[in-house]
Amino acid sequence: MNSLGEQIRAVLPYQRRNAASFAVLAFAMVLTLSAFAEVGLARDGHIPAGLFTIGGGLVVLALAAYFVQAKFLPYADPLLLPLAVALNGLGLAMIYRLDLDTSDTKKAAQLAGKKLIKDAADAPGQLLWTFVGIGLFVAAVLIMRDTTKTDAPLSFTPKTAQRYTYLTGLVAIILLLLPIVPGIGAEINGARVWIHVGPLSVQPGEFAKLLLVVFFAGYLVNKRQAMSLIGKKLGPFSLPRARDLGPIVVIWFFCLGVLFMQKDLGTALLFFGLFVSMLYIATQRVSWVAIGVGLLAVGVFVATQLPFMAHVNQRIDIWQNPKPYFDGGCLLDSGKVVPVNPDTTIYKREKAAGSGYPGFTACAKLGGEYSDSRQLMMGLFALGEGGVLGTGLGQGQPWQTPLSFSDFIFDSMGEELGLTGLMALLLIYALIVQRGMKTAVAARDPYLKLFAGGVSFVLGLQVFVIVGGVTKLIPLTGLTTPFLSQGGSSLMANWILIAILVRMSHDARKPAPQAIQDEGMTQIVSTR
Amino acid sequence: MNMDKPIRWVAVFGMLLFFGLMAQVNYVQGSEAESLRTDPHNARQYQDVFNSPRGQISAGGEVLVTSTPTGKDNPKYGRTYKDGPIFAPVTGYFNGNATQVERAYNSLLGGKDKRIANQHWFDTFIGKKPEGANVELTINPEAQRRAYEQLKAKTAPGRRGGAVVIDAKTGAVQVAASWPSFDPNEVAPQTGDKGVKRLEQLDKGSGVIRPLNDNALSQTFPPGSTFKTVTATVAMNKLGMNDQTTLDTSPLSLPESGTNLPNDSDSGSCGGQAPMKGAYAESCNTSFARLALQLGIERLNQGAAEYGFGKSVTLEPQMPAAESDVPVNYTDADGKQQHTGRDATARSGIGQENVRATPLQMAMVASAIVNHGKLMNPYVVSTVRAKDQSELYSASPKEYSQPLSSDQASQFEDMMRAVVQAGTAKNLQGMNVAGKTGTAEQGPGIPNARWFVGFAPVDNPRYGFAVMTEGDGFGATGAGPIAAAIMRQVLKK
Repeated sequence: MNSLGEQIRAVLPYQRRNAASFAVLAFAMVLTLSAFAEVGLARDGHIPAGLFTIGGGLVVLALAAYFVQAKFLPYADPLLLPLAVALNGLGLAMIYRLDLDTSDTKKAAQLAGKKLIKDAADAPGQLLWTFVGIGLFVAAVLIMRDTTKTDAPLSFTPKTAQRYTYLTGLVAIILLLLPIVPGIGAEINGARVWIHVGPLSVQPGEFAKLLLVVFFAGYLVNKRQAMSLIGKKLGPFSLPRARDLGPIVVIWFFCLGVLFMQKDLGTALLFFGLFVSMLYIATQRVSWVAIGVGLLAVGVFVATQLPFMAHVNQRIDIWQNPKPYFDGGCLLDSGKVVPVNPDTTIYKREKAAGSGYPGFTACAKLGGEYSDSRQLMMGLFALGEGGVLGTGLGQGQPWQTPLSFSDFIFDSMGEELGLTGLMALLLIYALIVQRGMKTAVAARDPYLKLFAGGVSFVLGLQVFVIVGGVTKLIPLTGLTTPFLSQGGSSLMANWILIAILVRMSHDARKPAPQAIQDEGMTQIVSTR
Repeated sequence: MNMDKPIRWVAVFGMLLFFGLMAQVNYVQGSEAESLRTDPHNARQYQDVFNSPRGQISAGGEVLVTSTPTGKDNPKYGRTYKDGPIFAPVTGYFNGNATQVERAYNSLLGGKDKRIANQHWFDTFIGKKPEGANVELTINPEAQRRAYEQLKAKTAPGRRGGAVVIDAKTGAVQVAASWPSFDPNEVAPQTGDKGVKRLEQLDKGSGVIRPLNDNALSQTFPPGSTFKTVTATVAMNKLGMNDQTTLDTSPLSLPESGTNLPNDSDSGSCGGQAPMKGAYAESCNTSFARLALQLGIERLNQGAAEYGFGKSVTLEPQMPAAESDVPVNYTDADGKQQHTGRDATARSGIGQENVRATPLQMAMVASAIVNHGKLMNPYVVSTVRAKDQSELYSASPKEYSQPLSSDQASQFEDMMRAVVQAGTAKNLQGMNVAGKTGTAEQGPGIPNARWFVGFAPVDNPRYGFAVMTEGDGFGATGAGPIAAAIMRQVLKK
């Protein structure tokens, strides 16, 4: 039986919405260029050079992406590309703005003969990565272009990926494990999610995220009949058969492994949430969600109990009550977290002894593991500084927040754009996710439905984990903020994600091929 | 099997996640913003404070504190205090951190207060930085100068003096002077590291001198016989007495130790029996010690609390005065908690033992009497105006308490007049002041705390005052003339 949506579409088919898409894209570009202009006008009193080089660069790229999309995927969802451009553009403007101020710091450091700050905002670099990201979008659209000939050279649609289900799964796992391989893996800012490729640092997890969606979609579309079979009934719940529990338990162990090896709570939560939601979409069984949530609860409980996982506890303690740990919280062998702040004697003793990081060395003397809430609190201070209307782009001091250009870019946005700006940003994200979900509903193939649903949900979940982290809704973990954070891996992966959604939306919205009926209408034999 | 239904539910769940984020962002940037901005860990509130001019502080139309460009990058603006030491007890200092009015009105002076932003929302909207607002004090600058000179001249070397004058009807503080004081110019932002060192030195002080804690609002002293006003008030309220009640003024041997509590002289009113008015005017110790014994330390403590004892009086938000007290329990030299015994209660009744008061506190006692028994909350800032002269804040007088009835207050006025006419302060006749003298002993070899607490003018009084200065001799001669000189200046129109 056709769903309601399909019945409606039979009467009212989707239209090409290229004009609307262009109008929204033009708005996104005006938004970006205005942001650049405001940075310069407010900060230095004149239109900044970056407006033409970096802002202009983005406009050219976005126009190219639009024309390729309009030519090859004319039925594509009109909003996805403009929304992604708006996010990418605002992110660029903020990084440009941070770059201007850290550049001064850099200059001062050079003059004073000090070592340069290694991690800093880098607008030209980010523009380069935007170029690569949108380039990948264009390439992906070209490769996945809608051709009538299925055997055209390089013809590859999202559907094609179904053939390589297990291969993508394997590649995803290898990518995830790479950062813990000694030699190539690198720990940056307390999380092992990076690898070094030549001069570049890459976060393979960003790509693994996409590959995992492909793998889950392919796997679940095959197994969903079996996995939705009912074993026992327990009250209102119909439990699955015990033998079908295998995959979810494997994924659970895998995520616990990620949590332990990479100390990355966010990635673990992201992958597990993704799997459970896709499992639910595939089987329609609420019991799977219950089992997933139960396993997650058990996992978190175990993590907080096991001594070698105590740093999870430490993070939760510091998250719940960050103020005493501003200058340091020390995790002792007993599993207790004690503050090492300037009021404590150990801190004073270390400071008197001339330690540059008294909290850290005091904790080391106690034999504990150091962590603090400084980053989180300084991020919150930035949000507090912004208030409802924000200081205005170029008029705040977002560079004071550590990692203001990457993990905490959302807080930097909050400082200068205020609550108003953040609500707008969240709405843009929510719109992308919902357009993706709409694509999933409109898709005709079960595999593509799962794929589109999974890709949209993982984007939303990632925004939730990182934005929730920097606003103290949930414990802080280091994920990138899609399209905003500085970093090539994230931009490339997310632009590919948008390309996939665009392609699928084109398929879903394209009118179904009409049967050629040149023999005239079928004759009605009987109306009864 | 159709997947649309679960996809829709996942979409709804996704929206819920976003609603959660939106709610949290609203909470953090809406309701928590102010407390995040003032969080002690938040270094932002202290940075940038030297980069824009801070508002002025003025008194009686005379500008006292200004910000001046230094011509350097950091700090861009310094702070200049006219007659710094004279006005320091009220203005405080500013060097990033701040004290007194500089601290209490930091956000307005610094231009960061919401009231400025609200009034000038369009400036905020177009990105113009709000400018610091100007604070006008209630202080009478000429009287403040007179008080400082007088205290400086009449206080024993190495000792302390303080004077406070309050407009009794409103609680506006006219004078809050301290000797010795410090010069806020020496620790202002432009002084750099030198100022930081000087501040440490000032903080340490020498002997009993703590220059950063002024002797008008922030230090307590034994109030001596001036406390008899409080004891008499409590006796009127709790024992139903009035100024004509006959009191036993004969010699008193203390109940526990049996030692003799001396009167200054055992003649006149203090020769055996006298109405309260006479015993008060001639300051008979024995009769007020007996009243204290009759009341007990608890009732004395509660009665004194009506005047403000036992609490720190808040002059302005974040500008509390030191706490005056009539302790029921106190911590002895060994750090043990002790109950105030019978002998100590008797001595507390005459403002000795562990009774402590700031000059502000005693001026409040006098003001309550002047204002017909109603004590107004003292304050030091009258108005705050933005750069364009629009008013951001204006003090509204608040009643603090009513420690005595209007009738009792007029009895006390007469009792205080009697002190000058026929009692311990006959030397002040014709100087248009009335009040109670006090001479508190502070231990062997330590100069007395000499007090004069009262009001002016004598007829239709308007101001309550308290003057305390350490030195040899008595309150009437040590503090009385200072009070008369200050009040002559205050009353000059």
